[in-house]
Amino acid sequence: MLINQFLLLGAALFALGVYGVLTRRNAVMVLLSVELMLAAVNINFVAFDRLIGDELAGGQIFALFIIAVAAAEVGIGLAIILLIFRNRRSANVDELDLLKL
Amino acid sequence: MNVDYHALAPEIILGITVLAVLVVDLLRIPKYWTAVIGLVGLFAAFVPVLTLGFCESLDFCTEPETAQRVLFGGSFVVDTFSLVLKGLFLGATAVALLLSVGYIEEDRYWQGEFYFLMLCSALGAVVLASSRDLVTLFVALELVTGPTFLMAGWRKGDPRSNEAALKYFIIGVLSAAILLFGMSLVYGYTGELTFGGIRAATAALGDSALLTIGVILTLLGFAFKVSAVPFHFWTPDTYQGAPIPVTAYLSVVSKTAGFVGLLTLSYQAFAELRDVWGPLLWILAALSMTVGNLIAVRQDDIVRLLGYSSIAQGGFILVPFGAAVAGNVTGDQLEQAFFATVTYLLIYAVMNMGAFAVVIAGANRLKSTLIADWGGLSSYAPGLAGLLALFFASLAGIPPIAGWFAKLVMFSSVLGVDSGWATALAVIAVLNSVVAFYYYAKVIKSAWFDQVPDTIPAAELRGMGRAVAPSLQFALVLTAVGVLVLGIFPNLIADVGDVAKTVAAGF
Amino acid sequence: MCQSRAVPLLALAAQTPNLYSPRPGPQAASASHKGFFETVLDQYFGDYITVAAFLGMGALLVAGAVLASAALRPNNPTAVKSQSYECGIDPVGGGWSQTQIRYYIFALLFLIFDVEAVFIFPWAVGLETFSDLGMGVFVLVEMVIFIGILVLGLVYAVRKGVLRWE
Repeated sequence: MLINQFLLLGAALFALGVYGVLTRRNAVMVLLSVELMLAAVNINFVAFDRLIGDELAGGQIFALFIIAVAAAEVGIGLAIILLIFRNRRSANVDELDLLKL
Repeated sequence: MNVDYHALAPEIILGITVLAVLVVDLLRIPKYWTAVIGLVGLFAAFVPVLTLGFCESLDFCTEPETAQRVLFGGSFVVDTFSLVLKGLFLGATAVALLLSVGYIEEDRYWQGEFYFLMLCSALGAVVLASSRDLVTLFVALELVTGPTFLMAGWRKGDPRSNEAALKYFIIGVLSAAILLFGMSLVYGYTGELTFGGIRAATAALGDSALLTIGVILTLLGFAFKVSAVPFHFWTPDTYQGAPIPVTAYLSVVSKTAGFVGLLTLSYQAFAELRDVWGPLLWILAALSMTVGNLIAVRQDDIVRLLGYSSIAQGGFILVPFGAAVAGNVTGDQLEQAFFATVTYLLIYAVMNMGAFAVVIAGANRLKSTLIADWGGLSSYAPGLAGLLALFFASLAGIPPIAGWFAKLVMFSSVLGVDSGWATALAVIAVLNSVVAFYYYAKVIKSAWFDQVPDTIPAAELRGMGRAVAPSLQFALVLTAVGVLVLGIFPNLIADVGDVAKTVAAGF
Repeated sequence: MCQSRAVPLLALAAQTPNLYSPRPGPQAASASHKGFFETVLDQYFGDYITVAAFLGMGALLVAGAVLASAALRPNNPTAVKSQSYECGIDPVGGGWSQTQIRYYIFALLFLIFDVEAVFIFPWAVGLETFSDLGMGVFVLVEMVIFIGILVLGLVYAVRKGVLRWE
C-alpha cells in the first residue's frame, strides 16, 4: 500500500503550517496555518490506520476527535481575535507588545 | 455492559455540575448561585474520590481484584495515582473558584460563563488523571486548555488581557498540533493507542528513528503546556495579562495537568524508551530551573515574578525525570523518582495557590502589583504580610514548611541514582535553590522591613484587613493550613508512595 | 467487545520493512522467487498508473468539451457580454467588502453543531453490532445524553439572544 506518499504529504503540510505560524503577521492567518498542521496530522492518522488495518479503527476515530477539537479551537480563536480587533482595530500579532518580555 | 459507575462517579458528578451551572446561568436568579453550585459540585465530586481511595474500609464498596479499576479496555484507569491527582485538581479548582468570586464580580464581567468554563477545564483535568490512551489523553488535555484561553482574556476591555489570551491561544494550539503529530507517528509505528499496548509494542519492535521523533514531538507538546524552557515565552506575558485568579488556575491546575500527561506517558507508554525521554527532560529541567530563576531575579512585578518562579518550579518538578538518564537506574529508583514528582506537584499546588491568594488580597487593596509598592505591608496588614512570608518561604524551600519536604524528596530521588548525570542535575538544582531563595526573600524583606512608599496611603489601608472577602479568607486559611500540615506531617503524603508502585511497576 | 487487538505487529513490521527501518524482516529474507522489494515496487507504480490514467481521461474530457463547444457555437463578442456578472445586477463596490458581524456568530454556531454531528455517524454504524450484543438500549441512551448536551448548548445560544436577527 502507498504510505510514504501520505507521510510525505503530511510532513509537507505540517512544515507549511509551521512556516505560516512563524511568518504570518495576521492572527487569522496564523490560525489557518495551525489548521493546516492539524490537517497534516489527520492525514497521518488515517494513512496509518489503513496501513495497520486497525480493527477498532483507532486512527480514524482519533482523526474525528481532532476535527471536532479543531473546530472548537477555531471558535475560541476567532472570538479572541475579534475581541482584539474591537479594542485595537488590528489583528496583527507583532503589534501585541504591551507586555514586555 | 458492566460499567463501574463508582469509578466514574467523580467525572459524572462534575459533568452534571457543569451542565447545572449552565442552566442556572440562564435562569433569572442572582449570578452568585452559579459559583455556589460550582463549589458544591466540586466538593460532591470529592466524595467518590475519597470512597474510591478508602474502598477497603467501606462496606458498600466492591473492591476490584487488582489494585486498579480498568475501564473501557484500558483507556481509563482509576488507581491511587489518579485519585491523588483528582483530589489535587478538585481542591485546586475549588480554591481558584473561591479566589475568582470577588474578583470577577467586581469587574462586572460575565460570571456564570466564567465558572462554567473553569469547571469544564477542571472536568478535563480530572479525566486526564485517569486517561491511559492517546485519544482520551488528547481530548482531556484540550478540555483543560480550551476554556482557559477564554478565561485568560476575560477582562474584555483590557488590551493586556486580550493580548495574554491571544498569545496563550496561539502557543496552545501550536503545541497541540506538535503533540498530535508526535502521537500520529507513535501510533503509526506501534499500531496501538493505549499506553499498555504502546509499551508492549515498543518492547517487541525495538527502537527506530520514526518512533524517536514521535516520542520527542509528543513530549515537546507537553513541554509547551508545562512551560519548560525554551518553550516558556508565552508564560510571563499570559500570567501578567490574565486576571490573577486565572493566572493562579493556569499555574496550578493547567500546569499540573501537563505534568500528569508527561508522567503517564513517560513512565507507562514510553517506559521502554527511557534513553529517548531521559536526556530530553534532563535538558528541559536544567534549562527551566536556570533560566526561570535568573530572569525572576530581575522582576519588579510580583505576578510576573511568580510567573518566572513557576517556570523554575516546573524545572524542579522535572528533575526526577532527568535522573532516569542513567542506564543503570533500578526499578526502585524510578519509583522513587515518580513519587518525588507527584509529591512535588501536590505541595507546589498548595503553596502556589496560597501565594496567588495573598497577591490577590494585596492587589485588591493596593491596586498595584509592583513589589516596591508592597513595602512595609507588615505595618498596616500584619496578617497578610505573615501569610506572604509563609507562602514565599515555602516556595523557597525553608523548613519546616511544605516546600522544604518537596525539595527534600526531589533531591533524595536524584542523589539515590549512581550516575554523573544525575549528580550534575542535583548540583544545578542546588545552585538554583540558592538563587530562588534570593528573590523570594526579596519579596518578604520588602513586605516586612522596607518603608511604606509615599504613594501608598498606609493609614487608610490600616483597618482594611477585615475587608477581605470571605471567600478569599477561606481560600487563604485553606492553603495556609495545607502548607503547614504538609510541612510538619509529611508522612501524610507518604501513602502516595503506593502510587509509584502501581504506576511505575514492572521495570 | 473491547477485545485486545491481537494484530501481529512483528509480522506487520516485517512485511513492510521499507517503512520503518532498513532491518530486513524474516519474510523478506525468505521470499525467493520474486524479491520483496520488486513486489512493493510493482504495487507502488501500479497505483501511479491508475492515477495517471484518471488524470489523462479527465484532461481529455475537459479539452474535448471546450474544443467541441468552440467549434459549434457562434462567436460574437460585445462589451456588455465581457462584463463581470453578479445575480443579473451590475456589481457594486470591491470584492473585499465587510461582512456583517452576525454572520460570523451564526457561522460559528453552525460550525460547532455541524462538527459535533460527526460523532453520530460512527455511532450509527456501530449501533447494530451493539444491539446484537444486547447493549442497544445502553448505547441509545448514551447518544440521547450526547444530543441532550448539544441541545442545551442551543438553548443557551437562544436564551443569550445569539439567534435573533435584528
